[in-house]
Amino acid sequence: MISLGHYLILSGIVFSIGLIGVTTSRNVLKVLLSLELLLAASNLSFVAFSKFNGDYAGQLIVFFVILVAAAEVAIGLAIIVLMYRRLSTIQADELKEMKW
Amino acid sequence: MSFFFFFLFAAILIAASLAVVYARNPLYNVLALVVTIFALSCLFVTLEAFFVGMILLLVYAGAVLVFFLFVVICLNLNTAGRQQASPWLFQGLGTLAGMLFAGSFALALMSFFKAQAIPASNLRGTIEAVGKILFTDYLLPFEMTSLLLLVAVFGIVSLAQGALSTGKDEAL
Repeated sequence: MISLGHYLILSGIVFSIGLIGVTTSRNVLKVLLSLELLLAASNLSFVAFSKFNGDYAGQLIVFFVILVAAAEVAIGLAIIVLMYRRLSTIQADELKEMKW
Repeated sequence: MSFFFFFLFAAILIAASLAVVYARNPLYNVLALVVTIFALSCLFVTLEAFFVGMILLLVYAGAVLVFFLFVVICLNLNTAGRQQASPWLFQGLGTLAGMLFAGSFALALMSFFKAQAIPASNLRGTIEAVGKILFTDYLLPFEMTSLLLLVAVFGIVSLAQGALSTGKDEAL
């Protein structure tokens, strides 16, 4: 039978894939996409805990996480478009203006 | 039966998330994320969280990822072949984060058999059940999300205005 552990380990695998993406990719768009993977992995463990704990709070937190992620994506993509207009690239290492 | 579906969707989820990180074409990254969200939503249904699963499909696959696709298409990003080796600092940080995560992952593996003993509750995340709690116990956070979305809209509008004015300045 599928237990809580199965879901937590799956969530851990997806989270670590996303973490690799966030820390190693140079493309800002890819960083944002990998960030979505991190959120998805944590959502999975929230829902699994909700099921195995018999509490709806986990599912409600997932609902709020989706809302916050939507706002984050909108702002993040606006920043990416701005960056592309200014630098005509979205490689993260081209962002040198804030270096001291 | 649930055993079969869990492993099917888990395999799709892992394969698609690997494609999100490792595919070269940004378009394929976004499309792989759509597949990831679909598999995740199916896993939510195996956990009987129907409402959250459907919201995930509608809001994520339907709206957020289409937005991503629009940006990829509009910017005409063709970064294939522009993959640079990451600097040693980032590789070091990534390795450190990965090792920290592997540690906590090992802890999760150790508690795997203990978690096997926890039985699944008969909780069903239908719209009625989740909605009832959302509009009673969680009413204040729910209303505050509208404030958050309002602030996000203000942020985007001000960013877009800045883009327009700087565009003019550069043209002059």
